Amino acid sequence: MADLRVNFAGIKAPNPFWLASAPPTNSGYQVQRAFEAGWGGAVWKTLGEPILNVSSRFAGTHFNGQRVVGFNNIELITDRPLEVNLQEIYETKKKFPNHAVIASLMVEPKQEKWHEIVKKVQDVGVDGFELNFGCPHGMAERGMGSASGQVPELVEKQTYWAKEAAKVPVIVKLTPNITDITATAYAAVQGGADAVSMINTINSLAGVDIDTWKTIPNVAGKGAHGGYCGPAVKPIALNMVAECARNPEINVPISGMGGVSTWKDAVEFMLMGAGSIQVCTAAMHHGFSIVEDMVDGLNNYLDDKGIESVAGLIGQSVEKYSDWGHLDLNYKVVARINNDVCINCNKCHIACEDTSHQCIDMLTSENGNAYLEVREEDCVGCNLCSIVCPVDGAISMVEIPNGEPMTWNQRQEAIKLPICNS
Amino acid sequence: MSSYAEFLEEKKKIDELYEKGYTITAVREDLSGAYLTFERSKLDLNDIEEKIELHILTADTRKYFSNLIIAQQKELI
Amino acid sequence: MHLNRVKDKKISLKDLRKNFSEFEPALTPKEAVEESNRCLYCYDAPCIKACPTGINIPSFIKKIASGNLKGSAKVIMEANPVGASCARVCPTEELCEGACVLNNASLPIMIGNLQRHATNWAIQNSEQLFQAGEANGKSVGIIGGGPAGLSAARELARLGYEVTIFEAKEKAGGLDTHGIVSFRLPQEISLWEVEQVEKLGVKIHTNTKVGRDIPVEEVMNNFDAVVLAAGMSKVPMLGIEGEEAEGVFDAIDFVENTKTPPLDQQFIGKKIVVIGAGNTAIDAATCSVRLGAGDVKMIYRRTESEMTAYEFEYEFAKQDGVEFRWLTQPIKIIKDKAGHVKALECVRMELGEPDDSGRRRPTPVAGSEFSMEVDAVIKAIGQTRYVNLIEELGLEHNRGVVKIDMNTHQTSNPKVYAAGDVIFGDGQGDAMVVTAAQQGKLTAYAIHKQLITDEATLESV
Ligand SMILES: Cc1cc2nc3c(=O)[nH]c(=O)nc-3n(C[C@H](O)[C@H](O)[C@H](O)COP(=O)(O)OP(=O)(O)OC[C@H]3O[C@@H](n4cnc5c(N)ncnc54)[C@H](O)[C@@H]3O)c2cc1C
Ligand SMILES: Cc1cc2nc3c(=O)[nH]c(=O)nc-3n(C[C@H](O)[C@H](O)[C@H](O)COP(=O)(O)O)c2cc1C
Ligand code: SF4
Ligand code: SF4
Ligand code: SF4
Repeated sequence: MADLRVNFAGIKAPNPFWLASAPPTNSGYQVQRAFEAGWGGAVWKTLGEPILNVSSRFAGTHFNGQRVVGFNNIELITDRPLEVNLQEIYETKKKFPNHAVIASLMVEPKQEKWHEIVKKVQDVGVDGFELNFGCPHGMAERGMGSASGQVPELVEKQTYWAKEAAKVPVIVKLTPNITDITATAYAAVQGGADAVSMINTINSLAGVDIDTWKTIPNVAGKGAHGGYCGPAVKPIALNMVAECARNPEINVPISGMGGVSTWKDAVEFMLMGAGSIQVCTAAMHHGFSIVEDMVDGLNNYLDDKGIESVAGLIGQSVEKYSDWGHLDLNYKVVARINNDVCINCNKCHIACEDTSHQCIDMLTSENGNAYLEVREEDCVGCNLCSIVCPVDGAISMVEIPNGEPMTWNQRQEAIKLPICNS
Repeated sequence: MSSYAEFLEEKKKIDELYEKGYTITAVREDLSGAYLTFERSKLDLNDIEEKIELHILTADTRKYFSNLIIAQQKELI
Repeated sequence: MHLNRVKDKKISLKDLRKNFSEFEPALTPKEAVEESNRCLYCYDAPCIKACPTGINIPSFIKKIASGNLKGSAKVIMEANPVGASCARVCPTEELCEGACVLNNASLPIMIGNLQRHATNWAIQNSEQLFQAGEANGKSVGIIGGGPAGLSAARELARLGYEVTIFEAKEKAGGLDTHGIVSFRLPQEISLWEVEQVEKLGVKIHTNTKVGRDIPVEEVMNNFDAVVLAAGMSKVPMLGIEGEEAEGVFDAIDFVENTKTPPLDQQFIGKKIVVIGAGNTAIDAATCSVRLGAGDVKMIYRRTESEMTAYEFEYEFAKQDGVEFRWLTQPIKIIKDKAGHVKALECVRMELGEPDDSGRRRPTPVAGSEFSMEVDAVIKAIGQTRYVNLIEELGLEHNRGVVKIDMNTHQTSNPKVYAAGDVIFGDGQGDAMVVTAAQQGKLTAYAIHKQLITDEATLESV
């Protein structure tokens, strides 16, 4: 049994799986059910001046019969008075003293507003704060959420104001609706953040109904952009986490989220530097009980690998993430087909023929059986065939020894002055 | 022609020049590919300066000559 | 057929009609979406090659997945004018589904059921999927409105021919309408296909048996080409004593009677013996069960391994409670005083040397005669041919199997083409709806080649 406990920037939790600030953490009833189900922490639904929501708020993206590949929402922050939330936070913390309860906050970018809310919430005994600079809709139109989260100076200043009043760790939650997330992450660090978390939702329009021509979702026939999350955003989130993790100037812990649905996703985020994991969509899709396999799967994985605690995982892949210019141009892999496993769907052939390098031949053996073969000398090792192949193990990408490494940066340096460059 | 065959053809030209004692002295790259300047050491051949330019098209050959240059530079050190 | 999808396997004795309604449920929209998304959309897909009509299966399945059901139905019906019937009656395990690449990796795609899903949509939305071509001034007469005749007619109409079908029965559709059990193929499906062909301007003269209601010469003289697509005839005589007794039925007539209401109540609780073990025999046996028979036996003079019924049919009959008696040959039908069947006398057989069909020849075991009490006997030992019609048309044939040139689909009379069961046998295809459909299609193209294309090339010379 591996040790799943985490100490994230001073916030302690029995495991790294926390519910993200969102509908699942709306109330004490829900958060307590979540803790009973096995979640290690919860970031309370963002507190601030109670808002008004519209009816019809969510939309799912479905793909090839799979529901909720992505999830879109136009919901705002909490619509309940602060006192109600604080009372429930207090009760929850009392019942679950060892679980992490973190309060998400969002107020106008004014020093006194931040001081006021931090102090009020701190008094009921939260384990930390998460400043919501991410909500991309509604609140942003009022100068909060991602509107302030997109301006590094505002991120820095507000973090600073929150830190002035906070006695517990402050996490800054970043918006992905920005070209370079390390800029705002750096600003948060400058403002004194104890940690950053990412990603909040991505600007999105889930769809248009092709019969009524209304947006999805629609409110009385009208729509407005929402925030996108769920499995589809995982690669975007993972990159943002990794970019921050490998940036030496962003030297604070990272809470990773965006599309985490299974323990495997969580392991990936951790390898790329996440010290805790937050989840929203997967819980909304399947209920709190999915955490059971997240915990169990992670535990078995760690045991399998002989790793004693989650700490042994965090950031292990960060150094493997680099810039394109540092990749070895001489490294060569080619596709190889295992005809014993291949089921002859010919998908690899047509993918390579139509859209890659025309090097998978459809052949017939002497005894009349169809088979496929890669002309390895023409294969550029793009992976496409192995991506479209429906059968595990039918195509492997095989490494071909190809001399000393040569990166693009080295090459450019070398060809500047071919004979006297040393 | 398969791209591998194209590469082999270009590689052959470069190898032949190397065999004749040429080395790459300049590389110019633009939208049309790479232009290599080959020169043969004056000392070897009675002070006759010879320059040859090769236009390289394939990606594999552009990797190939880059490797040659790096190897050549390593030798010089 | 996916027996595991059948929810209600119980036979009702109160409401026989229930027993004859389509027994494998249609895919629900959710099932269809899930199943269609499971298809890999293979390139150069083996399922297409395994379909005798060459339906572009990945294409129609992808269209189901994308919600383009009209396009899907069109892909199916384009290649196969009786594609809605075929979705239900094709032995898919032996054809498309048997070739699906997923057989080796998980479970084959339910191609037949997806085909049924898409064509159901077209039926329910009364979609007319095709248009007649611009008239080219040529006419074709078709004898027989079964799958082969309809298929030829549809393609000819699309190519601009004036097409007339002569159909002996009251309704066209051939065995799809009259011969294949309702619980696999409801009549309205076949009739929709007939209607699709009629809407292209094809004239269908029903109740018109060529050689009886209209002279053969009239057909021969009135058209530029004639297609013989009359199928096969009745079940042959057993050649045993008592065969004329009341209560002895021809399997095809027997099944046909179950296709249109009202259903015969006389078999409830009765003992029925079916002679034979081919596809038709299975149909007769399972129909008997569904008519409420108390005890249904199939007797066959060879063994399980020689029977020609498909594996799934055999399974189905067993599930229906049909008993199989192998190595058993009927030798005499015993009548009661009123001339009705009372018992069937049989003899046990043993297998000897292989005969010319490659199957071991059964021979009677001396002294093994026994008799069983029966209320009805159904003969299902193959089908005879319309030799009279074939001879009246003056066509070369081999024991009723019309000879054609496989390239031109012409019979010994170049004006007469033939397709479907009339040419079945002698290595000329299988007796299946789907092969009949394909032959009909190919015949239409062959006629077009002879009458228009070749003529055009001649003119241009
Ligand atoms: C009981 C039974 C079950 C079967 N089950 C299956 C199955 O599950 N799957 C499968 O693929 N195949 C099955 N078959 C075989 C399939 O039905 C035939 O192969 C197919 O119908 C042949 O089509 P066809 O158009 O050649 O002939 P038919 O369908 O027989 O059509 C011929 C038509 O011609 C008409 N006709 C005949 N003589 C004349 C005349 N002189 N003038 C005018 N009209 C005439 C007939 O009335 C009939 O309508 C089954 C056959 C039988 C008997
Ligand atoms: C309906 C909904 C409401 C949300 N509300 C908030 C919020 O109030 N505060 C906040 O910081 N994030 C909010 N989020 C963003 C989530 O906390 C989380 O960052 C995002 O959903 C990515 O994680 P996931 O892919 O696991 O869903 C909300 C998300 C959803 C779907
Ligand atoms: S890796 Fe790319 S280039 Fe090589 S065979 Fe596969 S698809 Fe073709
Ligand atoms: S995609 Fe995979 S299974 Fe399909 S033919 Fe290629 S190697 Fe075989
Ligand atoms: S072989 Fe199977 S998976 Fe492939 S296209 Fe045909 S039905 Fe789909």
